[in-house]
Amino acid sequence: MTDQPVSVNSAAKKTRFTLEMFLRPELTLIIVIVAIAIATSFVNPNFLNIGNLTDIGRAAVIYFVMACGASLLMIGGGLDFSVGAVFTLGAITTTMLLQAGVPWPIAIVVGVFVGGVAGYLNSQIIQKLHVPSIIATLGSFYIFTGLTIQVTGGQDILPLPRAFQVLGQGAIFGIPYVVLYAAVVGAAFWFVLEHTPFGVEVRAVGGNREAAQANGIKVERVERIIYILGGATAAFAGIIYAARVGSGQVAAGGSAVTLTVITAVLIGGVSLQGGLGTITGIAVGAVLLSEIDNALIVASIPPQYNTIIVGVILIAAVAVDHIRRQRLYRVKR
Amino acid sequence: MAVTEHTGTRVKTRVPALSLRNVEKAFGQVTALSCVNLDAQVGEIHFVVGDNGAGKSTTLKILAGMHTADAGEISLNGTPVHFADASDAKAQGIAVVHQNLALVECLDVATNMSLGAIPKRGFMLDRKAMEREAEAVLSDLKVRVGSVRTQIGLLSGGERQIVAIARAVRMNLPIILLDEPTAALGVRETAHVGEILQELRRKGKTVICISHDLDFVFKLADKVTVMRLGKSVATLTADQARHDLVVGLITGSIDAAQIEKRSHD
Ligand SMILES: Nc1ncnc2c1ncn2[C@@H]1O[C@H](COP(=O)(O)OP(=O)(O)OP(=O)(O)O)[C@@H](O)[C@H]1O
Ligand SMILES: [Mg+2]
Repeated sequence: MTDQPVSVNSAAKKTRFTLEMFLRPELTLIIVIVAIAIATSFVNPNFLNIGNLTDIGRAAVIYFVMACGASLLMIGGGLDFSVGAVFTLGAITTTMLLQAGVPWPIAIVVGVFVGGVAGYLNSQIIQKLHVPSIIATLGSFYIFTGLTIQVTGGQDILPLPRAFQVLGQGAIFGIPYVVLYAAVVGAAFWFVLEHTPFGVEVRAVGGNREAAQANGIKVERVERIIYILGGATAAFAGIIYAARVGSGQVAAGGSAVTLTVITAVLIGGVSLQGGLGTITGIAVGAVLLSEIDNALIVASIPPQYNTIIVGVILIAAVAVDHIRRQRLYRVKR
Repeated sequence: MAVTEHTGTRVKTRVPALSLRNVEKAFGQVTALSCVNLDAQVGEIHFVVGDNGAGKSTTLKILAGMHTADAGEISLNGTPVHFADASDAKAQGIAVVHQNLALVECLDVATNMSLGAIPKRGFMLDRKAMEREAEAVLSDLKVRVGSVRTQIGLLSGGERQIVAIARAVRMNLPIILLDEPTAALGVRETAHVGEILQELRRKGKTVICISHDLDFVFKLADKVTVMRLGKSVATLTADQARHDLVVGLITGSIDAAQIEKRSHD
């Protein structure tokens, strides 16, 4: 008998402290958010007004709702370029139903359902036709965009019933309703990811698909579900946006929304290689993006700086993610 | 197992816990398995040896539900079975340690050990139970872990291998398949895995283990099945399995038909 136990933890202790810090990219982002807030408030003290902060929150919400679905998808190893088109698809479906006299709760449910169907179609193109996710969803982006133009004739859908618009414009105790929807969606996704067996399965599939499969996880089922949820949240975000602006806009979504959502998810600490990422990280990422938008306006800085800064932050965030993975895996990836 | 009476003398006919009959498998043009037969009993350590590419892992993956055999029959306790996928094989009582370990690097030790059988409280993940179970299994196996929250990616190859073995042991299923479980291990760790296999045998598990380490094989084996070029060429009992014979069967320099003769020498 070898009485001495075999040790499994030689390297772990030493690296623990730094690792914990790297595992929490939201900490770094919060520092960046605070720094931008301080700098901007020097230029224009109005930046820190409750009204302005509410505006930042309101704008962050749309991206955050979409980013919740997109992050679950990307943590699970997927990628969805079609979200910008599904955003419009959801908005158009719901607003057209509203104009046809369908009550708003049903119109919203159907709009979200159509988004889920779009996500399901994406998953089937990937699984059944073996098209890589990036190409499958780029293709479906064009298809969904064409569909929305076809059904609307390129015309925005308005006017919309007052009851529906209130859902996107109203507030309670000064908190916009849309912030509450985002809080509910965020809490739900956080709960699923951190506290259900399904969340563990999503991380396992994203972290190492083959290993997940070998361990008896129904990989294709997990993938189907996360694509459906990604489509549903994109459509829901589109519907909230339509309620906020009071019309179903054909040009509201598109590639700009797709890129912003994927950027928010990556800045929020989700890795393109799957497995890693948290909903709190996504929330902080979405707030940072909308803060930058707002700060540059408040400080009267020309808009082109916005895109430059977002680009720099995105690259920095992913570079940090690479270092994080190196620490986590001990190997170069 | 059935015990039948034959005119005074007791004849034991044991139904194998796991049995493969004429199993074949091709990947496109490549014939990986052309005829595999194997019988493994309860409470037996059954080794499968053979050169690289002989078809050992393919055989194991068929038993793990990851590949479907093109022809032939698999039975558990005498009943023909079919595995739809890996979770189905697990549900029918088969735990597996894969050659590539099948660990998720970005998840911690406890989570990896529970993959495919995640502890739940209601519909929620029971992380406490997950960590408790992992700690219990690891300390049972005398594997010291600073924390079961350590990311797999931080562990060395040998440490990962031990975790993969511990995961299969945790499943506590009647049949356990191991594909080169000592490939990345040092002398002491290899001996330790040997003890784990003996403990499984004592508990009445059916242990099927692929290995290239013939010293390890001879130390532990109840039976040795030799595979060569996609065929199971012979199954030897512990006393038949001499070094030169096994090596001869692996390389093909000894024909299986000669075994009978040589064992009478
Ligand atoms: N998925 C696959 N697709 C195509 N060919 C395969 C596949 N899996 C195995 N093979 C082929 O089947 C044969 C047997 O492979 P297998 O992995 O079973 O060998 P092995 O005995 O486990 O070898 P080793 O000792 O190197 O692990 C090889 O010729 C291999 O190339
Ligand atoms: Mg092999």
